[in-house]
Amino acid sequence: MQQLFDAAMFGSTLRIMTPILLAALGGALCSRVGLFNVGLEGLVLIGAFSAIVGNYLFGNVLLAVIFSIVIVMLFSALFAFISINLKANAIVVGISLNFLATGLTTFALRAIFDVKGAYYDKDMVGLPKWDIPLIKDIPWVGDVISGHSPLVYLGIIIVIALQFYLFKSVSGFRLRSVGENPVAAQSIGIKVRGIQYGAVLMCGVLCALAGAQLSLGQVTMFTEGMTAGRGFIALVATMLGQANPLGVMGSSVLFGFMEALSIRLQGFTLPTHFTMMLPYIVTLVAMFFFKDRTYAQDALKAGGSSR
Amino acid sequence: MNRVKESLRGLVQPLLAVFIGLLAGAVAILVVGGSVVDTYAEMWKGAFGNFYFFTNTLARSTPIILAGLGVALAFRAGFFNMGAEGQMVLGGLSAALTALYLPGPGWFVCIAAIVAGIIAGGVWSLFAGWLDARFGMNLLITTLLLNYIAIYFGGYMVSYPFKDRTGSAAMAQTPMIDQSVWLPKLFQGMGLHAGFIIAIVAAILIYWFTHKTVTGYEIRMLGSNPSFATYGGVRRIRMMMLSMIISGGLAGLAGAGEVLGTQYRFLDGSLSSASYAWSGIMATLLARSHPLGTAVAAILLAALQTGAMGMERNTDVPLEVGSVIQAVLTLFVSAQIGYSFLKRRKEKKSNATTV
Repeated sequence: MQQLFDAAMFGSTLRIMTPILLAALGGALCSRVGLFNVGLEGLVLIGAFSAIVGNYLFGNVLLAVIFSIVIVMLFSALFAFISINLKANAIVVGISLNFLATGLTTFALRAIFDVKGAYYDKDMVGLPKWDIPLIKDIPWVGDVISGHSPLVYLGIIIVIALQFYLFKSVSGFRLRSVGENPVAAQSIGIKVRGIQYGAVLMCGVLCALAGAQLSLGQVTMFTEGMTAGRGFIALVATMLGQANPLGVMGSSVLFGFMEALSIRLQGFTLPTHFTMMLPYIVTLVAMFFFKDRTYAQDALKAGGSSR
Repeated sequence: MNRVKESLRGLVQPLLAVFIGLLAGAVAILVVGGSVVDTYAEMWKGAFGNFYFFTNTLARSTPIILAGLGVALAFRAGFFNMGAEGQMVLGGLSAALTALYLPGPGWFVCIAAIVAGIIAGGVWSLFAGWLDARFGMNLLITTLLLNYIAIYFGGYMVSYPFKDRTGSAAMAQTPMIDQSVWLPKLFQGMGLHAGFIIAIVAAILIYWFTHKTVTGYEIRMLGSNPSFATYGGVRRIRMMMLSMIISGGLAGLAGAGEVLGTQYRFLDGSLSSASYAWSGIMATLLARSHPLGTAVAAILLAALQTGAMGMERNTDVPLEVGSVIQAVLTLFVSAQIGYSFLKRRKEKKSNATTV
């Protein structure tokens, strides 16, 4: 037990959690305006790939992240256009977007880098690791909290900012009203479409950051389909946290912890299949206990999901 | 007359979507510096060029048709069954284990294995339906999660208890199924097996079921207008369970067909890595959940995939052009669904963005 739950594991929990958290916050924004975004997986994948491309083109991590944000915003604008203006079913658009992301990234990997499967360049510099002064010297806490990429800390800051924005600001109230009842929101002069577009584009920014953390955070590389279902886990985190930033944070921590635990358990004699299955089983169990009866139902009705 | 018009209009959109998809593919080909005409010619040859390639395409379409039909039925009832992959894996695993360990004459074991596959897929899908109906757990998410659980479970079963220890020990797979249990090939020396006929029959049966029977009508009604259906006395939960079990059963059948007709064993990852289930979902989206249309769309997608493989053998263009075309196709079709909504909205002149 002692060697199982050491500081390194909680550190990796934070690290693993970040992409899920960022994407899930984007999903939360979307579902707050009544668009259930199943395309998170695809958006994160595009984010991860374009971050690597940006890094390759500019040789600068900051520019790479900005490049990734621009690219993913384009794709989320596509999602917004088709589901808002053309009134297609948001779930169908999201699924198609995932297909498009898988196809385009593997294609572009061949077209740009002329490699199959994965792109890796040892000269490429990834996201820096920040040591937090003072905190890094505290024995156990320092090992857990310090030494992560800036995006890990940014994710936590965004949670607090978003919580404040959604529930304490007038603009956040307007945004929520769009998801609650678009017709009523429209009738008091709220620009429903504008707010929906804004939320989806912000979701794109967050997914780009999630992708950048995946591809530039630990090892500077891209592999085909490297999101490996994290976007869907983020979707679950959104639902589990009831599109509430703090709740989303809580569920993301849970998933991050379960994944870190399953990686750690592989060192023991357990078959890896069961440890890898664990996060999904825990998610199911968590869904069972934390299901929301009011908000999620409304959002789903609006999104036209399972009835 | 109206019916003819209706089905013609139904054809225009998919054809237009195919055109746009090919256009996107052309752009992708130009980006990598290939010749569009030559590349598409190679693609056509790879999919339909000769009888061998053609049967290859049909063989690849078999699991896609079956998985797609399952998803289509659930869509028709208004449920998003994203779990075809997991249902397929469990179906394939059960079929393989039944085929290996059930005694009896070959034909009997083969049928039993197919039935086992259908049951396994159906039960796994029903479980998700039950979680939704009983506990209100979102079906879209639960089916997705159950995929991963099924895939890892299948992987465990063939890595430990049922692993083939006779041949190359590196592969996580069951032993080879006895030849008498195999699904018969339709042509000597070709990949196409009897599973394709089963798939076509299933497509016709599902069409008959959804369009000609009362239960089928109720399922369609539930999908298109749930409150009207409930008002008209459709028992929602019962219909949901029914459509989920058929949907999962078809996916399970797809897995069983692959195991008994193509691979003759359950090989870890072989059903999920080829992403038959996701292609099936794409086929359903393309055909807007029409059963016969789904079968046609599945053959089209399979042709794109085998064609892309042939193209990669003979040109410098990467095979992924095929997946770009597929994705643009599906995206465009979903936009087309929106187009009809748009027209309706114009008529009403309403402005509220109720999605």
